Amino acid sequence: MLKIDSVGLGISAVPLLKNITIDCPRGSVTALMGPNGAGKTSLLKVISGEHKASEGRVEINRQSREEWKPADIAQFMAVLPQSSTLEFAFTSEEVVALGRTPHATGTVRDAEIITAALAKVDASYLALRSFVQLSGGEKQRVQLARVLAQIWEHCEGDASTDGILLLDEPSAAFDLAHQLMLIDIVRQISTRGVTVVMVMHDLNLAAKCADQMVFMNCGHCTAVGTVTELLTPELIHKVFSVDAEVITHPVQGTPMVVV
Amino acid sequence: MKLLNSRLISPKRCFLLLLIALPLVSLLGLMTGPVFIPLSDILAIIFSGGGGGGGANSQEKLIVEIIRLPRVVLSLLVGALLATCGALLQGLFRNPLADPALIGVSAGASVGASLVIVFGSMLTANGLLLGLSAISVGAFAGAIITSVIIFRLATGPQGTSVATMLLAGIAISALAGAATNTLSYLADNDMLRRISLWQMGNLQGASWDRVGLCAVTSGFLGLLIPREAGALNAMLLGESEARHLGVNVEWLKRRLIIYSALGVAISVAVAGVIAFVGLMIPHVIRLLVGPDHRALLPLSALAGAILLVAADALARVVITPAELPVGVVTALLGAPFFLWLLVVQRRRT
Repeated sequence: MLKIDSVGLGISAVPLLKNITIDCPRGSVTALMGPNGAGKTSLLKVISGEHKASEGRVEINRQSREEWKPADIAQFMAVLPQSSTLEFAFTSEEVVALGRTPHATGTVRDAEIITAALAKVDASYLALRSFVQLSGGEKQRVQLARVLAQIWEHCEGDASTDGILLLDEPSAAFDLAHQLMLIDIVRQISTRGVTVVMVMHDLNLAAKCADQMVFMNCGHCTAVGTVTELLTPELIHKVFSVDAEVITHPVQGTPMVVV
Repeated sequence: MKLLNSRLISPKRCFLLLLIALPLVSLLGLMTGPVFIPLSDILAIIFSGGGGGGGANSQEKLIVEIIRLPRVVLSLLVGALLATCGALLQGLFRNPLADPALIGVSAGASVGASLVIVFGSMLTANGLLLGLSAISVGAFAGAIITSVIIFRLATGPQGTSVATMLLAGIAISALAGAATNTLSYLADNDMLRRISLWQMGNLQGASWDRVGLCAVTSGFLGLLIPREAGALNAMLLGESEARHLGVNVEWLKRRLIIYSALGVAISVAVAGVIAFVGLMIPHVIRLLVGPDHRALLPLSALAGAILLVAADALARVVITPAELPVGVVTALLGAPFFLWLLVVQRRRT
């Protein structure tokens, strides 16, 4: 679905990304992890088309990223940025409605999708509230509903094409319950065929839903593999310069990082 | 749930109210002036067409047909153009305080007009072009030239930077202000008076030719601008967000800049610099019905038209038999209102 082939990015003299190769098959969840300034967001921006790769290529649906027109790719790929700068007093409902901009499905269908998307992120009660007055976590949930609404058919598994969802630190402003809600949503839509790539800082949270982890450092890809392959004290020390123990979750059996 | 709704009024109701207010204010505009004409005579003149004119005498008929009617129609069109362009620019800059004057278009127009007033005395004698005096042509040229300069300055290999455009607009405005001041310094008394009057905006020069020019521009923009409403809404989220929603942001920005430069240049050419309509009207409409451009653009056009007709009617009666420049009236109404708005907003947050 999504192929990143030896991608490099150099905006100034210092390269931001170097020789990154990742393969994200249909319905997979990839977590990009690493210290601040490792190039996670830059990589996400290369995929979303905001930056053009100066080396290598990104392939979406067997077609080079540059060949996609914005209007066509917006039909099946949604992007959630780190923070929102919306300063106009849209209601939350209207913000989610903006997610339907690329589609011509009609107001009735769109209204159904907007209601369902808000319910999915536990934000139905915010529908008529002014977006600018919401808290950081509430804003992020409404924005999440917006990107889900954009690829709603894909998230529900009734689209003819495959969807892609790019998330940049989606859980940063979430409380514990909503972090788990995010994990549930990501797992659910990936089983329905949506390919998810997300930047995350919480190793344990990522371990709960990622099929594939990517450790990045200084624009390089240090390691790519499954959660059990990557969550080792040695690799964590190498990438994050932190001494950590990896234990097994007593009930779920997944690896857990303890510092 | 209703209580949580942050809107004061529904777009439909707002549209209806403005639609009722528009003909009422227009009739008021036709009635007021140095010579008061009663409503019955106005109606008789309008509905008799080329006929006898009912109870109205021929002098009243002449005043309405040749002076007041074109003036009211021109005010409607200029008000609508200014308010719509203001809404477009505020959407483009994602800043509710943006205004046509901010990107230097008005300042450029002032230089053009002043140049003609000071150096073009031989031109002004030579008659009109499409009903425009040489001053108007100068203003139009000045507005278009500054728009192009600012656009070119802000456009690099990575596309057009809206922030750079804003800064370039401020710098060019300062430069244009210096040029206008120099011209004012060189000007004699009569020229100086004409420059300052022009900068305050007035609709005295209204004629059917100007109405025609304005109507063609408004019609053209009125067909094109509503198509951008959805994309403008997406732009409010941010440029990259709009791109992810399938908007071709670079072309959208270009189209918006062309539309607003054209709209402002034409309105400045026919009526001088009229302050605050482009800033205030979209702001008020946004407070009433929310920022959705599908409602904001048509409602701003309506409200802008109403405001300018009302302000112009006021300008004609405040110090009769003389008249106040309409730009002074809009600023007098607009500035205190705007300050009040700022205070209210600060209290809210």
